[in-house]
Amino acid sequence: MAHAESNVAVEPILEVAGVTRRFGDRVAVDDISFSIPPGQIYGLLGPNGAGKTTTMKMVCGLLHPDSGTVRVAGHPAGSLSAKALVGYVPQDIALYPDLTGRENLRFLGRLFGLGGDLLGERVDVALELTDLGDRANDRLSTYSGGMQRRLNIAAGLLNHPVLLVLDEPTVGVDPQSRHAILERVQTFGQLGMAVVYATHYMEEAERVCDRVGIVDRGRLVAEGTRRELVDRLGERDRIELGAAGNLEHLAEACRSLEGVEGAAVADHHVQLLVREGRQLLPAVLEAAERTGVQVSSVDVIEPDLEAVFLHLTGTALRE
Amino acid sequence: MAPALVIAQKDLRQRIRDRSAIILGVVAPLVIAALMSLAFKGTETIHLTLGVVDSDHGPAAAGLVEALHGPGLKDLVTVVSETSPHAASDAVQTGRAGAAMVIPAGFSASIGGSHPLPLTTLTNVNNTLAAEITSSIAQSFVAQINADRLSVATAVAGGEAPASASAALATAHLSLPVQAVQQAFGAKELKTISYYGPSMAIFFLLFTISFTSRSFFVDRDQGMLERMLAAPVHPLSVLLGKVLSAFVFGVVSLGIIVAVTTYAFGADWGNPLAAGLLSLAMVLAVTATTALVIGVARTQRQAEGISSFVVFGLALLGGNFVFVSVTPPIMQRLALLTPNGWALRGYTDLATTGGGLAIVAVPIVAILVYTLAVAAAATALAPRALRP
Repeated sequence: MAHAESNVAVEPILEVAGVTRRFGDRVAVDDISFSIPPGQIYGLLGPNGAGKTTTMKMVCGLLHPDSGTVRVAGHPAGSLSAKALVGYVPQDIALYPDLTGRENLRFLGRLFGLGGDLLGERVDVALELTDLGDRANDRLSTYSGGMQRRLNIAAGLLNHPVLLVLDEPTVGVDPQSRHAILERVQTFGQLGMAVVYATHYMEEAERVCDRVGIVDRGRLVAEGTRRELVDRLGERDRIELGAAGNLEHLAEACRSLEGVEGAAVADHHVQLLVREGRQLLPAVLEAAERTGVQVSSVDVIEPDLEAVFLHLTGTALRE
Repeated sequence: MAPALVIAQKDLRQRIRDRSAIILGVVAPLVIAALMSLAFKGTETIHLTLGVVDSDHGPAAAGLVEALHGPGLKDLVTVVSETSPHAASDAVQTGRAGAAMVIPAGFSASIGGSHPLPLTTLTNVNNTLAAEITSSIAQSFVAQINADRLSVATAVAGGEAPASASAALATAHLSLPVQAVQQAFGAKELKTISYYGPSMAIFFLLFTISFTSRSFFVDRDQGMLERMLAAPVHPLSVLLGKVLSAFVFGVVSLGIIVAVTTYAFGADWGNPLAAGLLSLAMVLAVTATTALVIGVARTQRQAEGISSFVVFGLALLGGNFVFVSVTPPIMQRLALLTPNGWALRGYTDLATTGGGLAIVAVPIVAILVYTLAVAAAATALAPRALRP
């Protein structure tokens, strides 16, 4: 996080400029632009289907934009010279279950032209960085889900990338493994890599990212540091109601309350973006009673990225 | 190392670990070839016990029996004398004789007249080969008698005394046209294992199409194709690596089968250089076909379906299950549209003629033409398959 304020004059590692990508009639990515300097962890925060993975694939040269440009350290994305500089960690575990951890890494390292002692060293370093050294010679099929995720990340580090692309690397892992992965990601930034980190977990973006781009329906709706984004909310709070019943009715009822600027339903919760949250609580609970919704928990939360997303898009991150 | 080689090496490592590939590539063809060789062993060393009933005892009957004992048939036929048509029929039915021939009383005398008596053959529907051989012998003999009758008639018409013409016929040295029998079994004996060894080796080699194309789509479904394409490699290298592994696997598999069938089962693959080049051409054809299936299919399921169709279609048309020579002419022509049909023809020619490179030049060229055409189509379709 230390790099965020001091990179103004540094040449960006990744430049995404006015990129649009369509699949048939559907616009998956709509005129997105951002750039990342060395050492910065840039989060792409948005719900599933927002266009994060499509953007990542264009950065890695796996998809070509219909318009706009993507450049990695000055090289056009997709060129062999750009690919050599990028470490890609896909959302799914893309490794061979019938090969050992070391064999998987050696295979992928050799595709980057590594060989001999250098390949051995890089594999050892990647295994060490992901705490998998003691299981390196076991087949991947014997690894836990969290270990497989870590090896998936290790495979993206073999070429010592200047740009590391992480597409939802913690999906489906237990909290302990998630914690370990996030810790590692933070060190990658400290090592000087530029990192693009796609996630739909607000907490992850807040924890590891120096800057965050909020993506919704293919568009980058806001971008900045956490502080910059949260400051957009002013004095607003987020109220999160754990409840059972017709939550859409409750959200609708709340929208008509004075002081409520947004309401959305997600994961058996109703989220409200409000001014003066604590003063508004009695009216919200009364609305719940009126609509027959049983409220089991109430949290008034200080402004965070979830509230920013609600403010900017009118929807919750996890729908 | 070139990316294609890296991918091929990794694929081979996985294939060796996967025992089913070893079973399909080496063990199965050997076992099936051995079993088929055993099952059809009778067709390579045909020996017929032929019952003969001589109710005539005349010169023509003696000539026929002498011909049956002659050097042309001694390896093929053992003649057993039967006392009556009833006894001969019993011998055929019980299997003591493969077939029987009845020479009726008055046969010799009748062939000089206008109504010659017929030879009768007794056969069993369960032994069609013996029936065909016996029928062939009888027809050949009758054909020669008829030719002699025509000679006599011509001589008489030319003013020769009938008595001297009949005497000439009676003393004629009757013999069987040996070439009729020889033509049925080829210039050099083809051992069954020499047909089914290559045949099964090729049939199971065709399965390489199936598991290599499947492996490509498994890689794609698991995100490995995308991961490979994110590395600084040319997309075609990925496809090349896949088919290269198929090529190496095919060569090794064929090599092992050639060695084992030669030394353990006595198969004759013919001239080693010619057989080797023919085998290489066939593996190339399989490799190109694999690339085409990858190019045509869009999913793993489609790849499995298309490759099954291709494998069994080629095997059936090419003659991997039955001798092409016993199939109808249309099937024999269709076999030459397949690389395996040409390869089998080449192996058979090598085994039966003892020839060298010249004998397989046409099959090799035909296989390479197929390979080039298929490879061109595969290359055109490859970009679609390599789209992440």
